[in-house]
Amino acid sequence: MRSIFTASWAVRAYIAVAAVGLTAPIIGSFLVQRRLSLIGDGIGHLAFAGVAIGVALSIAPVWGALGTAILGALALERLRTKGRIAGDLALAFVFYGALAFALVLLSLRHRLDASAIGVLFGNPYVASWGDVITIVVLCAVAVAAIVPFYPQLLAVALDEETARAAGLPVDGLNLLTVTLTALLVAAGMRVVGLLLIASLLVIPIAAGSRLAHSFRRTISWGVVVGVVSCLGGLLFALGQGNVHPGGTMVLASIAGFVAASVAGRRAARRHPRQAGS
Amino acid sequence: MPLTVELGAVRFAYGASPVLDGAELQLSAGEFVVLAGHNGSGKSTLLKLCLGLLYPQAGTVRVLGGSPDDAPIRRRIGYAPQGLRVVTSIPVSVGEVVTAGLTPVRPIMRGFPDEDVRIAAALAAVGMEDLAHECLFELSGGQQQRTILARALVADPPLLLLDEPTTGIDQTLRPRLAAELRARADRGATVLAVSHDPDDFHAVLDRILVISDGTIRQLTHEQFHDHFEVS
Repeated sequence: MRSIFTASWAVRAYIAVAAVGLTAPIIGSFLVQRRLSLIGDGIGHLAFAGVAIGVALSIAPVWGALGTAILGALALERLRTKGRIAGDLALAFVFYGALAFALVLLSLRHRLDASAIGVLFGNPYVASWGDVITIVVLCAVAVAAIVPFYPQLLAVALDEETARAAGLPVDGLNLLTVTLTALLVAAGMRVVGLLLIASLLVIPIAAGSRLAHSFRRTISWGVVVGVVSCLGGLLFALGQGNVHPGGTMVLASIAGFVAASVAGRRAARRHPRQAGS
Repeated sequence: MPLTVELGAVRFAYGASPVLDGAELQLSAGEFVVLAGHNGSGKSTLLKLCLGLLYPQAGTVRVLGGSPDDAPIRRRIGYAPQGLRVVTSIPVSVGEVVTAGLTPVRPIMRGFPDEDVRIAAALAAVGMEDLAHECLFELSGGQQQRTILARALVADPPLLLLDEPTTGIDQTLRPRLAAELRARADRGATVLAVSHDPDDFHAVLDRILVISDGTIRQLTHEQFHDHFEVS
């Protein structure tokens, strides 16, 4: 039992999932507020196409995923804002097109194997120190980019038209948001997987929204739920031994959402707020 | 007094039929003007032209001595859109919404050093001094509208463009808001309020303008009522 706390591979896994669990809700808050909760999923599919490109070009999958996710996310945002394609339709094209492209390319290269499919679901146990450093650096870059832009990103997330009227560079800020989402997806690929990373962008923030009365506090609670559910899910998987940690982390965040909903309702009953005229 | 809003022969159409066709308007610093008109007459369109959110298909629009396209010009306009446009996915506090009115255009730019004082003053101006920490979506429609108004006021801008600012607000509170806007005009701001009901501001406004058939004309209070009762 002691080894699951102190073994080098376990420590690496804890650091990696904690970094992702902390960063995902911060970025996710701006996506959820703009009703773009599923964009992380679309970018995850794009990143899988990037993994395939990485395999074909013999470069590390994470860099292929990162490059493709960023370029695809920027293109997706541009298509969405130019109104050439409806938001959900654009996502559908990305979902299916990127996945199909990746499957075709990987099979053509005879690399449609367990390691390629593994990036869809992640595995923090096999993360090397190099992987962990990459994950932590990508997460740190994402958070460091958000901090100075927080007031602008919040103003756009609250009311895009009024932010535009106030002269804020709305298009640039939206591009920043999807670029940071792509960074997070690439960072989380190794530990949670491309198919599940989007859930950490959304579910902890949804949980936080049940407990808070402000955007800032929603992010704070979201970070708590994100980190606790990632570490808790990983610990459960390690202790149980046979379950996939990506699944337990996401299920733990859903449990966090349910608990937050119950706690939020109880708090509302105990301290009803009065609305005036 | 310097001109703050200048529209010259402005034409704007959604599709084939123009909502503004040869519209002329000049507003000066210190003026409090209500813009009225029927639904779809182009009132909100005119505000959006002044904000650089729409572009005229003909004619010229100048605000605060420059183009509404310029970010520094836009930064000096307080805008309250019609209805609550704040997205409701995540709880936001009243204070956070009002603070958005002070957001610098770029992160390296300095914000307002007296941010807390300004936010408190803006909320006091709309009678919500004790509600800064409340969740916006748990408040009444009138309180939400007053929050949006406070966001427009918080930077103390020289030009206020307000789209139906009294919608949903209690009749008893409207005179207080009208007096607050008058006080801003008396300090040199231009207030242009789109309203279906200029009676809200009758005691304090300088002019009533009406958009009709794509042009803007000035009416007295009596003419306004005659016009809308006849039509």
